[in-house]
Amino acid sequence: MDGARHQGYRPGLVDLAAGMISREIFVNEEIYQQELERIFARAWFFIGHESQIPAAGDYFVSGIGEESVILTRDRQGEVRVFLNSCRHRGMKVCRYDEGNTPVFTCPYHGWSYGLDGRLVGVPYFREAYGGRLDRSRWGLVEVAQLCRYKGTVWASWDPQAPPFLEYLGDFVRYLDLTLDAWDGGEGGTEVLGGVQKWRIPCNWKFPAENFCGDSYHNISHRSVDLVGIGPSGSGRRDMEERRLARRLHVAFPERGHQTGLYLLPQDRSTPPAYQNSSLVSEYFRECEERRRRRRGEWGRIIGSPGEIFPNTALHPRQPRTIAVWHPRGAHQTEVWRWYLVDREAPAEVKDFLRQYYIRYSGPAGMTEQDDMENWNYAHMASRGTIARRYPYNYEQGLGSEIADYEWQGLRIPGIVVDLSAAQSSEHNLRNLYRRWAEFMEAESWSDLATWRHGAAQRSGR
Amino acid sequence: MSEIVNIRFLAPGTKITLLDGATAEVTANPGDGVWLFARCLAAPNDPARVGAEEMIFAQDVAAVVAAD
Repeated sequence: MDGARHQGYRPGLVDLAAGMISREIFVNEEIYQQELERIFARAWFFIGHESQIPAAGDYFVSGIGEESVILTRDRQGEVRVFLNSCRHRGMKVCRYDEGNTPVFTCPYHGWSYGLDGRLVGVPYFREAYGGRLDRSRWGLVEVAQLCRYKGTVWASWDPQAPPFLEYLGDFVRYLDLTLDAWDGGEGGTEVLGGVQKWRIPCNWKFPAENFCGDSYHNISHRSVDLVGIGPSGSGRRDMEERRLARRLHVAFPERGHQTGLYLLPQDRSTPPAYQNSSLVSEYFRECEERRRRRRGEWGRIIGSPGEIFPNTALHPRQPRTIAVWHPRGAHQTEVWRWYLVDREAPAEVKDFLRQYYIRYSGPAGMTEQDDMENWNYAHMASRGTIARRYPYNYEQGLGSEIADYEWQGLRIPGIVVDLSAAQSSEHNLRNLYRRWAEFMEAESWSDLATWRHGAAQRSGR
Repeated sequence: MSEIVNIRFLAPGTKITLLDGATAEVTANPGDGVWLFARCLAAPNDPARVGAEEMIFAQDVAAVVAAD
């Protein structure tokens, strides 16, 4: 299936049939500039969580690609996302990370904008402009589309992009594994603490592909496993399900989203977890029981890292986080990581999770440090004149995917690779780059929204 | 020479005079050092402004009216 539909972006750069991808797509600055236009101006992006802006006037400064955007709640309670750039000379109108304000005022010349983005204050409006400036034309630039989903806020600059839920397709069921409460309660999560932000000297696609389901790199976390930072005192997380469940990779070729997951046998309950604290362990045991009752067969699914195209990573289980890989040039990525907990969880549970989360993730987290070191040095060692001549290898698991995967009565949406025997596959990574190449080549969303054309037409492409 | 008014910490209820001779009462302060929201109390050059809430630019503020 790989490569059958797509011969790659500029033939030779993304060769999915052969399982080879040129280093140029990671280090070439011209390609990076094209990514900003073709991907970051057209796709959907995670902006933040509504629990970060509960009241009117609350704001959180986020980003889309290299652009700074303001997530805010206006006086009517509507969630809005604006480009953080004054229409007069482009200065940032908000230079704080978060807060509450009645207006966003540009510190350069003083143009001021209401929470709904309207230009409300123009110094010397009557004197210098003769009262003739049409303020209605000079409000903050607002995203073309915004979607609130189970507390999360997503946005796209492109008015032609399909609505967010169509953009996700059936992958929404896997996103739910991160956003629903542990007992399966719809959207029962909130952001814990602040958002961690830090920079890594690597291209944004290194972390993106890593979170598509690159379990092949587990060896580089061996030292963390030996230290035993996990919430039950061993390993880096509770992994008992690996002995019981089918370990799967799931990809959505037409969307570019992918994830790993575990599928428990019909007759097995979720293994015990969080055993360093009897209170926390009991909380999760009760939640799991409710989740299995509430979700039925789907409750046999346990989440694992995934990626929503292009740069939103999901880490649904241990720890439960969302990360965005903001590009900062071809050679640098700014990571923003949100930490999620059950809104209704006892304070002791939230505190236990907070301590575990920061042991694992973020710039000081032991597991994330391993990852950063890999991406940093892989990128650096790929920039040289000689290094760039040699493609990376993505052959692992070519041809092993299954279109209609079912095990013990549960059908899994998406294209599945069963890793239970193979241990590892790069199918999900190839899926990311397939979509990447499609975005880089497509002139419009009518070329990208292939699912709208019908299967017959697709197969004839 | 008149003092430059630091509008950043003017609390709602503070009365101010403006360079055009108007008087206004602060109704809200976004704290950005650039703008105030204020209700016009007197405007010799434009009586129609009286009672209206306006955004007042910092450089238009002449002075704080001393409390009675």
